[in-house]
Amino acid sequence: MTDARPRPAFAHASEAELARILDFYDVAWEYEPHTFPILYNRDGAVLESFSPDFYLPELDLYIELTTLKQRLVRKKNRKLRRLRDLYPGLRVKLLYARDFRALLLKYGRIAFADGLSGAEGQSTPPRRDAGSGAPAASSGARGTPAQAAREAGPIPGRGGLAPSQTAARARRARRSRAEARARAAARAGAAAPGTEMTA
Amino acid sequence: MSRPPDLVADVAEVLLSEDQIQAKVAELGARISADYAGRELTLVSVLKGSLPFMADLMRAIRIPVQIDLMEVSSYGGTATESSGLVRILKDLSSSIDGRHVLIVEDIIDTGLTLNYLVRYLRGKNPASLGICTLLDKPARRLVEIPIDYLGFEIPDQFVIGYGLDYGERYRNLRFVGVLRPEVYTSPE
Repeated sequence: MTDARPRPAFAHASEAELARILDFYDVAWEYEPHTFPILYNRDGAVLESFSPDFYLPELDLYIELTTLKQRLVRKKNRKLRRLRDLYPGLRVKLLYARDFRALLLKYGRIAFADGLSGAEGQSTPPRRDAGSGAPAASSGARGTPAQAAREAGPIPGRGGLAPSQTAARARRARRSRAEARARAAARAGAAAPGTEMTA
Repeated sequence: MSRPPDLVADVAEVLLSEDQIQAKVAELGARISADYAGRELTLVSVLKGSLPFMADLMRAIRIPVQIDLMEVSSYGGTATESSGLVRILKDLSSSIDGRHVLIVEDIIDTGLTLNYLVRYLRGKNPASLGICTLLDKPARRLVEIPIDYLGFEIPDQFVIGYGLDYGERYRNLRFVGVLRPEVYTSPE
C-alpha cells in the first residue's frame, strides 16, 4: 500500500515511535497541526507559542511528548500551564519520559526506550519555543492516517536523526533565529518604562 | 542450567491480595447479575490477561451468560511488526448480533486496545456494549473510554499477577503485585 501524502518530518525518534503505536491501533493523528500563541507583547505581537506534537482528531486530544529528564521539563510544564490557562477547552496530554518509557515497557520495547529517554535521546534543541507570529490554529504538517509514520523511515538508534528529520531541524533553527530576533525587538520595546508582557 | 525464576521474589509489593480480588469479583458479579437480569448477556474476554478474571467473574454471575474469547495482537509483538497494524488473532466464536455484550478486561491503561475492540464489536450490532475491568490505571490513559464496572483504580506502577504478565511470566500469581524494577531493567 502506498500513501502519496507528504510524510511528517518527526523531530525525534520517540515521536515516530508514538505515531507507529497510534497507527497500530488505528487511531488517526496529525503531526503538529496547530500552533497556539501563549505570550504576546503589549502590541499584540506573539512572543511565544506552543505546538503540541500530535492532534488526535477523533478524540479531540492533543499530545505533547517529551523525552527530557524530569528535572529538565520545567519550561515545558510552564508552557503547558499557560496553554491550559489561555485555552481552557483544549484537551492536552503531556507524556513525560517516564510515561513514554512505561508505554514502551508495556509493549516489551524497553531497550528502545533506553535509547530515547533523557537528554541524550533529545536529538534536537528545545523546539517551538517562541511564537512565529502565525495566527492561532495555523495549519501544520499532517500525518493522518495510518502508514505515514512508517514512511518516515527507520528509527535511528539512540535518538539520531533520520534523513527526513534533518530538514525539520533546519526549519526549526531558522524559526528559532527569527524568534530570537522578534524577542530582541520586543525586549527593546519593553525597555520603555511601564511596558510589560501581556497574555 | 540456569535457576528457574522465583516469581514471588520478583514482586516488590502486593498491591491487591487474593482476598481483596475475590471480594471485588463477587461484588462485580452481583452487580452485573442485577443489571442484566432478564437479558441475553455475553461476556467477551480479551486474552490472555483477563483469563483468570473472566473465570472468576463468570462464576460470580448468577444469571445465564454466554462467554466468548478474543485475542488481538499487541504492539511490538514479533508476529505483527511486519504488518504494523493491530490484528484479531482470535475472533468471536458466536454472533453477538442483538445480544448484550460485556467486555471483560484485566486492565485498562492507555485505552488503545480497548478503543479498537469497542469499535470492532460495535460493528457486530450488539444490543448494548459495556466494559468491565478489574484494574484501571487512569494516569496512563490516552483514549478515554467509559467503564461500566470497575474493580480497582491502581497507581501508575508496573503490575503483574492474576493474569497480568511481564514477558509471559507471573500470570499465575493469585494476587496483583508490583514488579521489582530491576527485573525489567536488568538483562536476562
